Amino acid sequence: MRIEISHLTKTYKGRVRALDGVDLDVPTGMYGLLGSNGAGKTTLMRILVGLLKPTSGTIRVGGHDLTTPDGLLAVRRALGYLPQDLGVYPDLTARRFLDYIALLKGLDARDFRRRRIGELLEVVGLSDVADRRLKGFSGGMLRRVGIAQTLLADPGLLVVDEPTTGLDPEERIRFRTLLSQLAGDRTVLLSTHIVEDVAQTCRYLAVMAKGRVVFRGDVGELVAQADRRVWTVTTPGPEPSQGRVVSALPEGAGMRYRVVAATRPDPYAEPAAPTLEDGYLALMETGR
Amino acid sequence: MIATLRYEFGMQVRRPILWIVYGLASAALVGLMWQGYVVPTLGLGDPDDPRSAMIAVSQTVMTLMPIVYGCLLADRLIRDRTLGVAGILDSTPAGRTGRLIGKYLGVCAATAAPIAVMYLGRAVVYAVAEGKPQALGWAVVLFLVKIVPALAFVGALSLAGPLLVPPLVFRVLFVGYWFWGNLIPATMMPTLSHTVLSANADYVEYGLFGDPSTAPGADYPPYGPWDGAALNLLRPLASPAVAFLWIGLMVAMAAVALFLARLHAIRTES
Amino acid sequence: MKRFDLWSHEIGRAGPAALVMPPALVLLTGLLALFGTRLGSLEGNTAWMLLGAVEAGFPLMTGIAAASLIGRDPAVELQLTLPSGYRVTLLRRLAVTSGWAALCATAATALFMATGWWDVVPGTPGGLAGQLTWLAPTVWLTALGLLAAAAFRSTVAATTTVAMVWLLEQVVGDVLRGNAVTRSLYLFATSHGAGADDWSVNRVTLLVTAMALLAAAWPLLGDAERVLGGETE
Repeated sequence: MRIEISHLTKTYKGRVRALDGVDLDVPTGMYGLLGSNGAGKTTLMRILVGLLKPTSGTIRVGGHDLTTPDGLLAVRRALGYLPQDLGVYPDLTARRFLDYIALLKGLDARDFRRRRIGELLEVVGLSDVADRRLKGFSGGMLRRVGIAQTLLADPGLLVVDEPTTGLDPEERIRFRTLLSQLAGDRTVLLSTHIVEDVAQTCRYLAVMAKGRVVFRGDVGELVAQADRRVWTVTTPGPEPSQGRVVSALPEGAGMRYRVVAATRPDPYAEPAAPTLEDGYLALMETGR
Repeated sequence: MIATLRYEFGMQVRRPILWIVYGLASAALVGLMWQGYVVPTLGLGDPDDPRSAMIAVSQTVMTLMPIVYGCLLADRLIRDRTLGVAGILDSTPAGRTGRLIGKYLGVCAATAAPIAVMYLGRAVVYAVAEGKPQALGWAVVLFLVKIVPALAFVGALSLAGPLLVPPLVFRVLFVGYWFWGNLIPATMMPTLSHTVLSANADYVEYGLFGDPSTAPGADYPPYGPWDGAALNLLRPLASPAVAFLWIGLMVAMAAVALFLARLHAIRTES
Repeated sequence: MKRFDLWSHEIGRAGPAALVMPPALVLLTGLLALFGTRLGSLEGNTAWMLLGAVEAGFPLMTGIAAASLIGRDPAVELQLTLPSGYRVTLLRRLAVTSGWAALCATAATALFMATGWWDVVPGTPGGLAGQLTWLAPTVWLTALGLLAAAAFRSTVAATTTVAMVWLLEQVVGDVLRGNAVTRSLYLFATSHGAGADDWSVNRVTLLVTAMALLAAAWPLLGDAERVLGGETE
């Protein structure tokens, strides 16, 4: 399902402008939406799933106009949404929770529903704990329940908002892999502030800052933003005053700094190959 | 404790919903309880006498406002747990008991602020309109010895109650309790109404500020036992000692409610 | 089958508190009817208390439950994105809590009618019309609770509103009965004595205005942004 967003703005009460003329075209497959906290990602996600109304602009999802009731309903039928803070009913077991959501998604036939829930619990690796109450689940397990509920009606569009925040490294890798596998012929819009999540799962992405899309393209293009701007320098003194320090590692008597800077930050600095994180930081530096 | 108090006071007093709901309650007070609030008499005292007038206004305000006050407080303690901030707060250097007391004093003071505005505001209007500034003195004293002890108890009950029973049940029971235990005539059914355990009892005004039944020409029975009512043991004849007993009981019952809240917290921590 | 499954889920969502309170009230009033006189309550007083409990108790429960409906839902963000529509889900939940309370109230009323308690208070309507004793105020306060929840987006504010209105109706009944308009909207006209004509008009007015309150709540509940922006319990 293709998402076409044009001149989208959202102004909250109190004149807080969360989105400021967003234009975005999201094709089928996995698509990353990267940005710092407060960049407007969650607002955009919530508009996409019909939780918020845009102040102006247009959105079409799979050809449906999201600003009309019929269009919104059509999109919701094809949507799986995993909110940033997934609230669940803690007294329910994972299986019962999925059963309830499945019914609300229109999966009426009991046998089909049961089979589908069983399959999805298997996919997300929760079959063993399917009959345990959700109040005893860890954050990672709840996210997996969350992703299972998004898939109940086999949606064409998956919107996942900050799905890996707070997960341990193992859970995060597992979750990322799962999302990538799910993409296939679906559109999966992954919003995150964790660069590594996008680096490992998405070919195309957009970067948001202060309510605007400041970059759209493929991963290589974002990496290229840092071409000839990444340096490493080892020094016993203070960190380089120019550019932005990406990392600092103790090395011998000094520190080895990785810096994103337009010019050589130190006479002894050596150029380094950029990563996606460097590209993101270079982009943010340019936009300052 | 002081930091918690200041923080909780600030948070609660800035909630727009607090002022909106009290605004509705004030409209109801002025519109439906005209006799008592706008015309400051409930039939017993002389509205031209500042003491009687301020007593009548305090009784009118305390009929309706505690229900608003109690309901607005009923989510404050359980909220910390629902929002998941209890753990963070527990890691701060403030002791848990100190924090509970600070929270209690802070949110209760903030939630009582509109009641103070409504009551003392009426006193100011009365003092200016009638040219009797002594009404302000009576109002302040009545606020401190009648309204504050009652709100101290109701506040503690409303904070602790939802920890002990589900919030939905607590709200229904609280409304029922306020009506049954504080407002109905003592002869209607066995009730705590008009006993020393009732937050809305009139012991302070009768015991400390003069019994209207002793006024020349008055034919009211003295405040205390009701003819034919059950639980008259809890309705001693009003006197200064009983008035102070009532104040002490309100404070003690507030302390018991807070102790139960603390006990509940200890149990859930372990 | 789908309906049965969905309703069984919604019964679970209502929670034990909302489901236990109405039968508890029936039990309490039943005990009062059985033992009230033996405990020294006059027959007239007991009958009036039973009538008052039915007319005021059930509406208070359903009103507070309706006012808490949105704030008690931890999965509201997810619910609002489902194709089934959240307000339909809310109405289903309302139907569970109110329907159960209505069932209990019907049983209590029928019981008191059958045992003669209903006839002790003069002028109390019997038969099917007698069920309007609790039905009209219950529907009205439930609708008010739902509207307050939708308008304030705060469980605390909505429940406080219901509590305040319920209490005002009790304590300033004389004032409300003194005016033709407020008399027709007075919730407790049966236990606080209204003439036969006034009573029918009052009950019908309550039911009609309750529909107006529900109609006012409907668009507010359909506004996802508004519902999402509220305070949770």
